Amino acid sequence: MSKHEFHPLVKQLLDGDITLADLPPELRAEGDEALRLLAAVDRSPVQLSAVSEHVMQAIAQRPVGSVWRRVMQPRELRLRIRPWLLAPALAIAAALIVFLRTAPTAAPASLVTVRFVLVAPEAHEVSLAGTFNQWDAHATPLIRSGPTGVWTATLTLPAGQHQYAFVVDGVRWVPDPGAPAVDDGFGRRNSVLTL
Amino acid sequence: MIIALLTLPLSLLGMQQTGGGGIAARLAGRVSPEVAALVEELGTAASARGLPVDPLIQKAIEGSAKGVPSARVTAAVRLVVMQLDTAAVALREGGVVTDTLVIAAGEFAITAGLSGHDITALARTGASAQALTVGLRVAGTLSAMGVPPAENIELISTKLRSGQPASDLLLLPARVQAEVARGVTPAQAAAGLERAAAAQSRRGPPPGHGTPPPHPPAPPHP
Repeated sequence: MSKHEFHPLVKQLLDGDITLADLPPELRAEGDEALRLLAAVDRSPVQLSAVSEHVMQAIAQRPVGSVWRRVMQPRELRLRIRPWLLAPALAIAAALIVFLRTAPTAAPASLVTVRFVLVAPEAHEVSLAGTFNQWDAHATPLIRSGPTGVWTATLTLPAGQHQYAFVVDGVRWVPDPGAPAVDDGFGRRNSVLTL
Repeated sequence: MIIALLTLPLSLLGMQQTGGGGIAARLAGRVSPEVAALVEELGTAASARGLPVDPLIQKAIEGSAKGVPSARVTAAVRLVVMQLDTAAVALREGGVVTDTLVIAAGEFAITAGLSGHDITALARTGASAQALTVGLRVAGTLSAMGVPPAENIELISTKLRSGQPASDLLLLPARVQAEVARGVTPAQAAAGLERAAAAQSRRGPPPGHGTPPPHPPAPPHP
């Protein structure tokens, strides 16, 4: 292949930006030669039918391959409502609902048994309210053991962090004196249990 | 149609987690209508920000169960939302992909007296979200026991970096309590336990506990 490099003005001539007359006299011969070479170029369309056929055959023979390709391949979709399909589809949907709702709790949270104790000799009733029983002041009563005024309750709680308080005689909310406590946001203290 | 039916559960779950319907159902009959309306509004917005709604519901139920006036209950619920936001930001600053459990644990730690900076420091230990959740709960408990933030974060960070099981973290409050019963301050107890944990970490994990995972270098405690 020739390494001949045309003068920039000649290149402009070939690009059609200028005419032969615009070239300086010393470049006109070079311009003439360039135009002659350009005119000699075969401008008939390139036929690569053999190559095209080969490529198309290769594509046609190529295996479909991945599932992704199958999914992404454009295709015509026709929806037909088939009532007999509705029942199994609904059943699958229901099963999925049940599965997805139970899946996060499928791994059983470890349970810890805890004994709560409050010494309240003057109390007539003591109960336990906290995050584990929706702060229900009546859900978890303590049992008075003996005449010493020791009230106890044994609960099995899920591992995690719980806040609670004793409810004495249904009205007085008392933090556990044997446990750390935090501000409850209402001017009182909640006891903290981390399991 | 089948595809639509199969996606139905996901849609329902999404509604359940973000919608206010679940909040209203949990509050029904437990709090006043005005408190329920506010918690539903705050909870829906919080859920959209990726925050847990359970702490809001619990605080509203707790306030009503304690006979607190509605205005004070709503103020407490708003405070919980603010603390959840603070915890979430602090965790993200620490490079943790937050889930609702770890954010709730961070909120508890803030309630117990720790700051957003403390939470970020724990998040930067590189512990898993599960271990970090336990670490934040224990840090909050230690704070409630009177352990100052500096010693608290130092101790929990060392434990988290050691890669020991979460059950080991859960023993810390009892250990601090035992040391305090011997006559030392909570700060001294925590510092002593931190030195012991650091020494054990240098010696390697105890038999059967495997190799601790690699962790990033410890950032300076703010």
